[in-house]
Amino acid sequence: MLVQRCLSVAAPAVPRPVEQVAHPCDFLCPFALQASGVTVEENVLTVFNDMKVRKAQPNEEERRKRKKAVLFCLSDDKKKIIMEEGREILQGEEGDPYLKFVKMLPPNDCRYALYDATYETKETKKEDLVFIFWAPEGAPLKSKMIYASSKDAIKKKFTGIKHEWQVNGLDDIKDRKTLGEKLGGSSVITLEGKPLCD
Amino acid sequence: MSGGVYGGDEVGALVFDIGSFSIRAGYAGEDCPKADFPTSLGAHVEEEGPAEMGSEQENTSGRSFYLDTTALHVPRAGVELISPLKNGMIEEWEGFQAIMDHVYSKHIKSEPSLHPVLMSEAPWNSRANREKLTELMFEHYNIPAFFLCKTAVLTAFANGRATGLVLDSGATHTTAIPVHDGYVLQQGIVKSPLAGDFITMQCREMFQEMNIEIIPPYMIASKEAVREGASPIWTKKDKIPPVTKSWHTYMCNEVIQDFQASVLQVSDSPYDEQVAAQMPTLHYEMPSGYNGDYGAERLRIPEGLFDPSNVKGLSGNTMLGVGHVVTTSIGMCDIDIRPGLYGSVIVTGGNTLLQGFTERLNRELSQKAPPSMRLKLIASSSSMERRFSPWIGGSILASLGTFQQMWISKQEYDEGGKQSVERKCP
Repeated sequence: MLVQRCLSVAAPAVPRPVEQVAHPCDFLCPFALQASGVTVEENVLTVFNDMKVRKAQPNEEERRKRKKAVLFCLSDDKKKIIMEEGREILQGEEGDPYLKFVKMLPPNDCRYALYDATYETKETKKEDLVFIFWAPEGAPLKSKMIYASSKDAIKKKFTGIKHEWQVNGLDDIKDRKTLGEKLGGSSVITLEGKPLCD
Repeated sequence: MSGGVYGGDEVGALVFDIGSFSIRAGYAGEDCPKADFPTSLGAHVEEEGPAEMGSEQENTSGRSFYLDTTALHVPRAGVELISPLKNGMIEEWEGFQAIMDHVYSKHIKSEPSLHPVLMSEAPWNSRANREKLTELMFEHYNIPAFFLCKTAVLTAFANGRATGLVLDSGATHTTAIPVHDGYVLQQGIVKSPLAGDFITMQCREMFQEMNIEIIPPYMIASKEAVREGASPIWTKKDKIPPVTKSWHTYMCNEVIQDFQASVLQVSDSPYDEQVAAQMPTLHYEMPSGYNGDYGAERLRIPEGLFDPSNVKGLSGNTMLGVGHVVTTSIGMCDIDIRPGLYGSVIVTGGNTLLQGFTERLNRELSQKAPPSMRLKLIASSSSMERRFSPWIGGSILASLGTFQQMWISKQEYDEGGKQSVERKCP
């Protein structure tokens, strides 16, 4: 049986609240399109749904094969947003997934990413999907322009995403504390099992 | 899509970025604009007789226009200087058309009907104005497709941000424009008149107090080298036609603008008489040959941008300094998006090229911003990018193959009328 992924691991039967915050522009111009005309490939949505929705009682094998993080890029003809081949981290992989994820981001180009964060507050353990827009200062201007103007296209497909993060350099992302604060303010004490130190 | 006629992705679109100080125009896909010339133009009302030879444009109202760097600088009798823009929006349409005609015939050298046009606009542009512009482009210039994009959005995108606060300090205004997910948050826009023209005015007052006369190059036939601080020795050109006051003032302002760019520097901490006195002096020579050293003035004049409280001649003083413009604007936005705005303050516009501008702004903001906020200032190190960022952004956007579906095509305009612009260009 498939259920919506829940907020808290401790209470798996509660569906994750879908917060669909209306875009400021939705009221003003209902027909507004995103700026670049770039579209999103079907399987991007499939990957997103696979990450969002999970089996209530997965076996070990299924759990290990789940995606922890994926990168999305523009197709060579710059017309579509696609999944980047080979750029993913599975739940079952060895090592610190956060460090691996940061290393996976190209230093001189832009990407979109989904990261399935596992974190702990004083009360409970949680999991949350984060949508990341990566545009480092060193990326070519053309790439920054295309990725920034197409971000809305992919974001609109990811319904129910609670956390969105625009990252413009390694300095913003290498310290896991920043993501911790994004997820739950000062209440977060660990991310991927590692404590957040000052 | 009409653009398809010109061969797949190669739509040969044109990009126009119209600022209150200068106009940038060129082909989409190129790195920098083909044309970059002053927005101000000389207008002459023909009284009687045939039109003067060499006049650039003629109109039904009998006015001729002189524009672009070269023609504008020729002294002519009775030519008044006008600006087609007011408050960043087109107001003088006849003058604006003269500019468009000039760009098409002298810089692009092609037929308007062959190229889609992407134009930047002030984020506060009015609906009536946008519709009028759309109508003009389709009806008068017969262009195949059109798109309007807000300058702040283009600047944010070109800096790799869909969300950020764009601080644009140009000639007439310093403006903070919050951009969220690629849309301008209109309620958060804050404007202040403390910008390039204000600094020019302050410099002019300083020269008046120092009894230094500003002589624009058009008056000078020859000059001699003089000692530092001595009165200049120069001879006036004979046969200068009786120019108008507005034109002469513009020429004087150009002299001052060069002084501004070469000499002035923003103090990195609030102005202090003692620190300023220690400032290394800088030697500067005017076109008239007058030369002198400038010390404390270098810091004192631009201080007004950040701290208007001590500026002479500003009555009541309700104006906001640059730091306040930013914090006020962010304060007017939803609390949830404030961290995103503080985290991406994008500095753009010609006036921000003043030495020390970004450093001082950084300092002011780190004091004014809530302590828990991560603050980041983004300023391109290339002066070309900082002056042209909306143009460059538009150039990339309009050259994308996928952008073809975004244009308002001629057919859509014919069917939907000028209201199409509200629907297709948010």
